[in-house]
Amino acid sequence: MNTDAIANEVILTVREKKAFSLLAVLRNEYFLYVVSSIAFVLIWHWVAAEQILGKSLATPYQVVQEFTRLMTVRLAGLTLLGHIWASTQRILIGFVLASAVAVPLGLFMALNRTVNAIVKPVFDLFKPMPPIAWISIAILWFGIGEASKVFIIVIGTFVPCLLNSYNGIRLIEPELYDVVRSLGGNRKDEILQVSFPAAFPAIFAGLQISLSIAWTCVLAAELVSARSGLGWIIVQGMRLTKPELVIGGMLIIALVAWLTTLGVSLLERLLCPWKRYIEGL
Amino acid sequence: MDDDMRKQPKIACEKIGKTFIQKGSQQVHVLEDISLEVYDKEFLVILGPGQSGKSTLLRIIAGLETPSTGRVLLDGREITGPGPDRGLVFQSYMLFAWRTVMGNVEMGPKLQGMGRRQRREIAQHYIDLVGLTGFEKHYPHQLSGGMKQRVGIARAYANNPQVMLLDEPFGQLDAQTRYFMEQETVRIWEAEKRTVIFVTNNIEEAVFLGDRIVALKDKLPGRMSQVYPVRLPRPREHTDMEFLELRQCITEECVLTL
Repeated sequence: MNTDAIANEVILTVREKKAFSLLAVLRNEYFLYVVSSIAFVLIWHWVAAEQILGKSLATPYQVVQEFTRLMTVRLAGLTLLGHIWASTQRILIGFVLASAVAVPLGLFMALNRTVNAIVKPVFDLFKPMPPIAWISIAILWFGIGEASKVFIIVIGTFVPCLLNSYNGIRLIEPELYDVVRSLGGNRKDEILQVSFPAAFPAIFAGLQISLSIAWTCVLAAELVSARSGLGWIIVQGMRLTKPELVIGGMLIIALVAWLTTLGVSLLERLLCPWKRYIEGL
Repeated sequence: MDDDMRKQPKIACEKIGKTFIQKGSQQVHVLEDISLEVYDKEFLVILGPGQSGKSTLLRIIAGLETPSTGRVLLDGREITGPGPDRGLVFQSYMLFAWRTVMGNVEMGPKLQGMGRRQRREIAQHYIDLVGLTGFEKHYPHQLSGGMKQRVGIARAYANNPQVMLLDEPFGQLDAQTRYFMEQETVRIWEAEKRTVIFVTNNIEEAVFLGDRIVALKDKLPGRMSQVYPVRLPRPREHTDMEFLELRQCITEECVLTL
C-alpha cells in the first residue's frame, strides 16, 4: 500500500485492487453505461417501428438519416451547422454580455453596502420575473431580429450570475479576513487574496446555471419568432409533421448545450485547481 | 524566570474588559478586569472552559477586537489594530483553500512586499520546521487535520512575529494527533523561540505546554481565577508524578471556583 505519512498521520493514496471476475465485469460502471445506452436506443427503435405511441415518433435511424441530409441540404438558406451556429452565437453573445456586467456587479454589491443599497431594490423587483415573460416586450422593443433574442438571454442569465457571485462573497468565513489582517494586509489585500479567489467556485456555479437558462431562453425566443436556429428547426418539424426533425433537433440541442457546459467546466478546472470535484457528474 | 526578563513585559494587558451589545441593545459582559503580563519568549497558557471569554481575550491581544475598557501594550506601546508583529493560529485552521501549502505559508512575507525568491526561501524554512517537507504543492483539502494546523503554524511563523497567538489550535484533532501536535509545538517553539499565548480548555494540554498557566473563571464575564507557574523540566511526561499532581491541583481548584 502506497502511503504518504508524517509520523502518525497517514493519507491513503491507492485503492485496494479487486480480483478479476465475471461479476466484477457485469458490475463495471463503464460496461453498464454501454449496456444502458444500447438498451435505450433499441427500446426507442422498437416503440417507434411498432408505432406503439402512434405515428408521431421517428426511429433513431430516421432521425440520423434526416440530419445527415440536412448537413448538405439547406433549410431556409442554412445547413444544419448553420442553424446550430445561429443558436450558439445568440447564446454566447447574450451570456458574455450578461456575465460581464452581472458578475462584477454582484461582487461589488457584496463588497460595498452603498452599492448594495442602491441596486438591491431594483434587482429584487426584476429577480422573480420569469425571463420568458420578457419575450413580448423584447419583440415590441427590438423587433424579431437578433437583438430581441440576445436581450432575452441577457435577462435570463443576469439574475443567477449576479446572485451567485454575490453569495460567493457573502458566504466567506469572516475569520479568513482576520488572517489577512493579522498577517499585515489591508482592505485591498483582503479583497484580492480572499474575496475574489474564495468566490470563484460560486461564480462558476452561477455561470453553469446561467448557461442552461440561456439555452431555455434562446429556444423560447426561437419558437416564438425566428428564421434560423435549433428552436426554429423544431417548429418546422412540427409544422411539416416530421417527428424526426423535432426529435433530432432536441437531441442536437442536448449535445450542443452539453458541449458548452463542458467548456465552462474545463475553464473552471483550469482556473480553480484547488476545488474538489464530484466524480461521475 | 530571571529578574531582568521581568522588567519589561512583552505583552501587558491592563484591566481589560469587553462588553458586546447584542441585538435589542442587550449587553453581554464577556471579559472583566483582566490584567496579565507575558514576558519575552515565555509560553503562557490561558486556560478556561467554553464560554469564559478566552478567545475574545486573544482576539483583543491580536487587535481584531477593541477592549471596552483597559488597554493592551506590546513592548510598552498600545495595540490599536492587528499587525504582523503578532501571528495568529486558528482553531478551524483558516487556510486559504485556493493556495498550496507554499502559497499559504508565504502569504505573510508576500503581504509585506517581499520578493518572490526571498519569501519562498523563508516559507520553505518554516515548512521544513513544521515537518511538511514534500507537501509544498499540496492543497489544504489534501491534508489531514494535524497537517493543516502545521500549515497554520508555519504561516504564522513565516511572518516572523514577536508574539504567537494560538486559539485552541488542536481543538478539532483526535486525541492521538493532539498529543503528538503538543510535542511538536514544544519542539518548534524550542527551535525558534517566540513569546507564545496559547488558549485551551484542556488542563492536561496546559500543563504539558505552559511556562505559566492563567486560569479563567467559568461563566461570563470571564475573570482571572488563578495563575500557576509550571516548574516542570522539559520534555515533560504526561505520566510523571509532578505532572499529575499539578494537573490534579488545577482540576480541583478549577472545579471549586466554578
